[in-house]
Parts: sequence; structure tokens; C-alpha cells
Amino acid sequence: MPELSYREAVRDALSRAMREDEDIFIMGEDIAEMGGSMAVTQGMLAEFGPDRVRNTPISEMAIVGAGIGAAMQGMRPVVEIMYEDFTTLAMEQIVNQAAKHRYMSGGQVKVPLTIRTQGGAGWSPGAQHAQQLEGWFVHVPGLKVVFASTPSDVRGLLWSSIYDDNTVLFFEHRTLYPIKEDVPDELEPIPLGQARVHREGEDVTVIATGRLVHESLRAAEEAEKEGVSVEVVDPRTLLPLDEQTLVESVKKTSRCVVAHEAVVRMGFGAEVAAVIQYQAFDWLDAPIERVGSKFAPIPFAPVMENFVVPHADDVLEAIRRTVARG
Amino acid sequence: MRTTCSRRFAERWPVASEVILPRLGQGMESGTIVRWLRSEGDQVEKGEPLYELDTDKVTQEVEADASGVLLKILVAEGEVPVGTAVAYLGEAGEDIPSEAAPSDGETTEEPAAPAPRTAEVSPEPETVVARTAEQSERIKASPLARRIARERGIDLAGLAGTGPEGRIVAEDVERADVAPAPAAAATGAPAAPAAQPGEAERVELTSLRRTIARRLTEAWTVPAFQISMSADMTKAQELRGLLVERHPEERPTVTDVLTKVCAIALLRHREVNATFADDAILIHPTANVGIAVATERGLVVPVIGGADGRTVAEIAAARADLVARARDGKLQTEDLAGGTFTISNLGMYGVEQFVAVLNPPQAAILAVGAIEDRPVVRDGAVVARPMMTMTLTCDHRTIDGATAADFLRTVKDFLEEPGLTL
Repeated sequence: MPELSYREAVRDALSRAMREDEDIFIMGEDIAEMGGSMAVTQGMLAEFGPDRVRNTPISEMAIVGAGIGAAMQGMRPVVEIMYEDFTTLAMEQIVNQAAKHRYMSGGQVKVPLTIRTQGGAGWSPGAQHAQQLEGWFVHVPGLKVVFASTPSDVRGLLWSSIYDDNTVLFFEHRTLYPIKEDVPDELEPIPLGQARVHREGEDVTVIATGRLVHESLRAAEEAEKEGVSVEVVDPRTLLPLDEQTLVESVKKTSRCVVAHEAVVRMGFGAEVAAVIQYQAFDWLDAPIERVGSKFAPIPFAPVMENFVVPHADDVLEAIRRTVARG
Repeated sequence: MRTTCSRRFAERWPVASEVILPRLGQGMESGTIVRWLRSEGDQVEKGEPLYELDTDKVTQEVEADASGVLLKILVAEGEVPVGTAVAYLGEAGEDIPSEAAPSDGETTEEPAAPAPRTAEVSPEPETVVARTAEQSERIKASPLARRIARERGIDLAGLAGTGPEGRIVAEDVERADVAPAPAAAATGAPAAPAAQPGEAERVELTSLRRTIARRLTEAWTVPAFQISMSADMTKAQELRGLLVERHPEERPTVTDVLTKVCAIALLRHREVNATFADDAILIHPTANVGIAVATERGLVVPVIGGADGRTVAEIAAARADLVARARDGKLQTEDLAGGTFTISNLGMYGVEQFVAVLNPPQAAILAVGAIEDRPVVRDGAVVARPMMTMTLTCDHRTIDGATAADFLRTVKDFLEEPGLTL
């Protein structure tokens, strides 16, 4: 089994899909010669040529709009928005066009577009380059939203996103690009809408996404030393959501912590908490805890940034609160 | 507990004093109130027993630390952390901080000694009044706890909550559901809940059972070794016979003789009379010998302190008292503290020999089998002698094999020739 970094796993999924299917191409700012500002598409220009690895002008609206057009014409484009903070510039295309055409045409037109983007704090990118905005898109009917946290997940989920006949917002986290994992030689597609139980436990379920999956696993190890057995579940696909796996886990543990890097208020965790309280109400033994960034722009200064975004400690504190300790 | 709220009240008005759950021993984090010995409204004198408390070591009566009227019991039963206020004690008619004060603060008309929480189940048709009472006594309980209580017909009023913000959680209801069982066990008839045929019966862990599980699991992580020797008990039994004649009241047993012999041997081999303290080995000046006692609730190890300085008859008296109190569940924390060595004797059950698990942090424990006539060779001839096999389990971090062997050899010599203890 080869070991791939998260970055290499994204590249591997893109390359394998492009080798297999001529309708797939990639497009974005500086993705060709430069290999993308996060070096994800390095070397792909040499293999696939400039028709299929296309640099674009600095216009997010144009990038997504062109992707939608190509998708409606039968291609399976994968476009890259350099920072998810910049999806703001493409909102009209994503929300009013990509998400609506299949519905408004009565299914005659499909938009099999994948919009890859990345973001997140932890390396001082500053308030305009560090946000976690995935929650916005979960609010829009007609889209699918994926947030992968490990190399094997990012590879299998990107493959399924490319081959999905709907527009998929595909979120990557900047600080996860270097993490490594053994992955099978064969790429195994991971169906959208299927959560992953990273660790089984009896006392508390932590439902985490993105970077917080890893922080939660660390918190779970600490909690174990204190005699609290923690289950860590990553939904992986935020829309559609694998409610069954999450609810079953909470019915088993009776306690739930929701954790993500996005700000707590109106974050994805709010939706998860609502799903859990409704479907597992009679199983809950403590209020659902939410962990996320403090409600503030992400500061540049590393020490301040560190204060604002959540870490394993914050998850551990929330776990302790659910079992009424500390 | 709305501590911030009641503290704020306390600063503004003099109120009744809180009865705080005490820390009865090192490492005690919480205790389970078994029952109250006095009722609300009773006049209590300082030093009188107030309630029975079950800790992970013992069940004991807790005395009032001040005189006054028991105004309100806050925790009727169940487990609460050390430092929790479990009742209010004060002058008759004195105000107590209102736990369930609604946010509008309109509670002044409540009587000084509030009625017990029966308003909710009152069948009286005064619905308006009943609802008001219910609102002011809103019980905090998790949805899961409410469901379990509903399914099993348990009244949440009167249960003590151990969840976030004192909320009643599932575990509290489960505990209330099994609460009658320990009471029955204490009277000698373990009430077995009727299990369905073919279905495993679930027995909830008592805090003693939990402690046994935790400590023995801990012991299992210690690198331990065992050595065995058999002693000819002819002279020890003769000695015991003499002692019984002299002390008919105490009636010393072979175990008492063994306790004394081990105590003297421990002082001759002081490195065995030791405990392991992570960064040091503590060598103790006196031999405090723990005796493993089987009770209906589980194993306990009360300690005969300073056994080296006591006569066999004194040891017998101390042992009889400890064993009787252990079986009645009346041991105090100090009865269990300070052991430097443990003896576990299963001889009376006909066990020939066995291996005991260490009692950390003690460095060694002696497992003693039955005295039985066995063929041994004396002066070239096979003869029958009353033999007893002893197995010493040692913490190898503290003691090495040769040290252990020297010690056990001394115990054997003393048993075979008690005069050598002089």
C-alpha cells in the first residue's frame, strides 16, 4: 500500500479520472505551469497538456461560470477556487446558476461540476484567507458539499464528486495537505453521504469535520486516560448528511460534541445538533456541546489566531462538560 | 447546585449553614449517601450521626459538625462529589437559600421549612395551585433520564443529579432503580432480581466492587513474582493450643500466630516491609499487617497496625473486632489505611495453595493454604506432619528474589520453631 499525502491524494484522484475519461479537465488560477498555489496540480500540465489543465484569469465568477457552461455541455470539469474565502466572488454562479439549472430545466440539463477549494487557519493567512465557509453552501438546495479530512477520504470522495451529476463544493483544509496515510493501490470511490467512524467509544460521540477530526482524535486519547470512552465520527459529506450513522452513534453514547473550525454560530454543527436533538431526543443524557472558532475574524498574529480557532483542548473540555467533569 | 446564586444570597443575608460532604480519606473524590439517620425538622446535636455514607472504601456514619435543626436535606441519596452541600442545618424557622427560585424572585411566601416534594403527585383538584408548585420545583433531568424514569415508573423527585449543572442523568435513575437491592443484601438475604430464563442477570457495580476492580487491575500492571515454601506446623499448633488455654476470651487462631510471626520477620527483613512510591521505595518502621476478609459485599483488607509490638492475644482481639465490623460494613477509613504487608488465608476453605494478587503499593502479599497432614521425610523415614504451604507474591520493582526467599525462610523457621522469634 503506497503512502500518500493529502495533497498527493487529491492529485492522484484528479489524474486517474483524467486518464480514464476525456471529458474531465481542470481549470483555475495558476494551476498549470505553477501547479497551483498549494502545489496540488504540480506536474499535471506535463501529463495532460494545456487543453485539459487550464489557467484562468483572476475572476472567480468566470471560473465557475465557464465550468457550469462546460458541464451543461456534457463535460465533467473540476475547477479550483484558490481560497474558499474567494467563493464570495462566485456566489451568483454557484447559488443561482449551478444549484438551480437541473431543477429549473426539469432534469433536462445537468451540471456535473466539481468546485475544489481550500482554506482554514493555522498558518497565519489572515482574516481574508483563513475562513471556513462550508456551512454557507449546506444551506443551498441543489448542491452537494464534501469536506474530507484524510488522504484516503479525499481521494475516494473527490472521485465520487467528479462522477456525481450534481455540482459539488469540495472543501480541502490547508493544514491537512502534508498529512500522510497508507492508501490502497486501487482507488476505492467513497459514496457521497457516508460518514466514517474513526474510533469507537461508549460514553461520548464527537462529530467532527476537517482539521477538527484530528484534534478530536487527540482529545479522545486524552479522555480515554480519564476513563471516558469517546467515539469520533466524521460525516465527510455535509450535504447529503449521513444522519443515520450520527444518530445511531449518539443513541449508543447518549452524549454528543460537535466540532469544526468554522465559527460556532450558524456553523455546520448547528445543523448537526438540531438533527441529533430531534432524532435522538430521548437518548440524550447531556446538552449537545458545540466546539468551533470564537466569533471573530481570524487574526494574523499566530498567538491570537491560536486563541480564536479550536484545538484538541477545546474538544476535551467539551467532552468533560458532557460527562459533568471539570 | 446553583452555587453562584446561593453564594450571592449568602453574602447578603445570614442563612442556615450548609452540611458539606467531607473528604474522609486521601483520594476520596465522591461519596454515596446511603440513607439519612435523621429527618428534616429534627434537632441534632454536634457529634450525632447524621447520615450513612458509602465511599469506595467503607460505609460509615457521618456526624453533625454543629448543633441545630436539620432544615432541609438536599441530597436524599446517591453519589455526590466531595464538597457538595447535602443539607442545611440552622435555627428552627430560619430561612434557607432557595434552590429553585424562579427568575422573577417571587418566592417569599414559601414557608421556612418547605414541604417535601409531594406537590406533583398530589391528587387534589386544585390545579392552579398544583401547577405553580410544579413550576417552582421544575426538576432538571436529561431526556434519557426522563425516558428511563417514565418506563420504569420512577419518580424523579428526590433523586440527586450528578450530570452537568446537577442534572439528573440516566445513571442516577439506574442507581435509584437498583437501590433496594443493597438494602436487602445488608440484611443477609441478597435479593436476586428475577432474571428471565437464559438471560444473564446484570449486577450493577457497587463502589466497593468498582474499587476492587480498579485496584486489582492496577496491581496486574506491576511486575510480580511468586515463591513458595511449606512449613511444618507442629509447634505452631502446639503454641496456638497453649495460647487458647491462656486466653480463652480472645481464642487466638493460627492466622493470629502467623500475623505475629510475619510482623517480626518483616522487621528482620525490613526491605519487605515496604511500599513503592514511584520515585522511591518507602521502608516502614512498624509492621502494619492487612488481613484479607471476605464479606458479602466483597473483599476488604483491614489493617492490624503495629502488629510487631502486640501480643498474639492482642492481635486476636483486634482481628476479631475488624472482621466483625468488616462483615457488618462498619469499617472506618482508618481501619483500612497504612498497611505495609498483607496476609490472605484461604486455608479454611480447603485451598492447598494459591497465588495472591498484590495489594499495591505494598511490596508483598502472603497467600496461605490449609494445614493438612502430608508425608514428609524426617531422619530418613517418611512420616505424616501437619504442613502448610505459603506463597509470597512480590513487587519486583521493590524486592528481588533472594530477599523474598530470605524473608519467607524466616517465616517458615519461626513457624517451625516459634522460640526463634525471641
